[in-house]
Amino acid sequence: MSLRASDVVAGDGNARIFEGGYRPYRGIRLGVGHSVWALARHTIERIMGLKRPARYKVLPFLAVLIAYLPAIAFIGIVALAPPGGGRRILDFVPGPGRYYGFITAAIILFATLAAPEALCPDKRSRFLGVYLASPLNRTTYLLAKAIAVGTVLLLVTLGPPLLLLIGLALQNHGPNGFSDFMGTLGQILVAGVSLSLMFGAISLAVPSLTDRRALASAGSLLLILGSGAITGTVTFGLKGPRNVLALALNRLPFELALRIFTLPGLPTGPEREFGAHSPPLSTAVVVGASVAVTAVAGAVTWWRVVGLEVTR
Amino acid sequence: MFGGVTTVVTGVDVAKRWGSTQALNGASFSVGEGVTGLLGANGAGKTTLLGLILGLHRPDVGTLDVLGHDPWLAGSQVRAKLGYAPEHDALPPDVAAHDVVRHLAELHGLPRREATSRASDALWEVGLGEERFRPVGTMSTGQRQRVKLAQAIVHDPELVLLDEPTDGLDPTQREAMLGLIHHVGADLGMHVVLSSHLLEEVERVSNAVVILEAGRVVAGGGMAELSKADPELVVDLDRDDSDQDPASRLAATLAELGAAATASSPTRVVAVLEGPGIYDVVRDALADGGYSVRRLQRRTASLEEIYLASSGRGAAL
Repeated sequence: MSLRASDVVAGDGNARIFEGGYRPYRGIRLGVGHSVWALARHTIERIMGLKRPARYKVLPFLAVLIAYLPAIAFIGIVALAPPGGGRRILDFVPGPGRYYGFITAAIILFATLAAPEALCPDKRSRFLGVYLASPLNRTTYLLAKAIAVGTVLLLVTLGPPLLLLIGLALQNHGPNGFSDFMGTLGQILVAGVSLSLMFGAISLAVPSLTDRRALASAGSLLLILGSGAITGTVTFGLKGPRNVLALALNRLPFELALRIFTLPGLPTGPEREFGAHSPPLSTAVVVGASVAVTAVAGAVTWWRVVGLEVTR
Repeated sequence: MFGGVTTVVTGVDVAKRWGSTQALNGASFSVGEGVTGLLGANGAGKTTLLGLILGLHRPDVGTLDVLGHDPWLAGSQVRAKLGYAPEHDALPPDVAAHDVVRHLAELHGLPRREATSRASDALWEVGLGEERFRPVGTMSTGQRQRVKLAQAIVHDPELVLLDEPTDGLDPTQREAMLGLIHHVGADLGMHVVLSSHLLEEVERVSNAVVILEAGRVVAGGGMAELSKADPELVVDLDRDDSDQDPASRLAATLAELGAAATASSPTRVVAVLEGPGIYDVVRDALADGGYSVRRLQRRTASLEEIYLASSGRGAAL
């Protein structure tokens, strides 16, 4: 049986064309956790300059590069050292625990750049009001921002020593045996997360006080470096207690990292006075100060964000 | 219920103080389906009320119900069903419009894939389909207002709150934006609260209005219902050399016949429509007096008149 053209094109007269257009959304709606993650991911992209013009990528990527360069250099030194004859050169290569001493500036620089980018533009442009009109509230908003800042800080607090460990281990210059390797890996993870938490809290506190990025970056830098200068003056100039040095924010996180790697702490006095082995701060003081500084900085940030006025 | 339809937002004696400023002072109101205008002068409490509806503040006194919930206690749950476009230019200038809208869709719980397609749909819907990948900062004021509208509707909310959405727009852009707002309320199935201090635009697109004055609701209800209050019959007359003030003469005649009428000018008489008989009374008076009638019209109150009458103001907003 053959079909005629009219059989195909002719209907019963009830055919209608429906325009696609805008349709109601009937799909799934995820909870607040999804909103927090969405904001954290968006903030990470903003901090790193992703999906933004190239000029926004320069500083964050430069800071990350500076943190990785020494690790790459040390791995290269180990690779190029003559077998058996490069002992003095190889002794110069630090383990992951001492590595933080080489990248202190990069970590501080990155932290003081990242946190203002996370908080300040939302307040300055008043986009915060749009965020708080979503399922997020002030606490979950801050949680998302803290996750974002903490995550990007892991790029410089966790990544480089991890790269160094792997690079050295692959050249048989790392920890001895699998258990030592895993132990060092665990120390790197704990140190990296701890530094990320502490620098994240410190570097978020200042931007919570202002909506200007440059001011927040400069203020954070001043706080971190200034605390070192002030505590140094109190301890050495005014002969104050040594434990005050635990409040030097350019020193405390790295002191903590040394303790995590069970390495001796930094000297707490001039060599001419105490000799080469000036007594370090006690581990209890370092841990206590680290927890206190992180808690105080976090509380300041939370207090400021919770008190922000929107749609008044 | 609100004018026979479902109530979306209800406030009873809502008060909110900011320091020494009483932003809302016992406001009671209802917002129903469709587009509701939230009208008031600057500082009348409109933005504070939007903040309360969003659950961002707790009322000092009174109760608020938004889509069946107390917004302060069920903030996240309520806000998931709301869309909000702020008054100020808040969008990040260096981010593409599509990325902003998608981001807001994800914040409201849409999975990433759905958020991406919905962002495109919403931007097409507001007329920015071709421009959706442009950074917001390179767009005109009108386009940025459209992006704000798109991010407010992208997650298909039940209620959209628009705070001064025509702020900074030229007449052409304002016309287009009002058309879009009407479209959202009438065709997309979302209820809209349009906060504005501009009478004309509220009157254009709203089917109900809540008028705020110094933190109090001075009038509220459906536009048709409000404008029907105290309707009048306006009679415009011609005058000639023999009769320079025909309106006064007609008003006096109508008064003698028991009708409440006043001469608002030498050629205009305004009579209060008290029952259907008034038409016959006016017709007979005009015929008997030999007046030359230019126009005879039943007039309902404009929103401006409603506002002025309810707020006791002598001038427009």
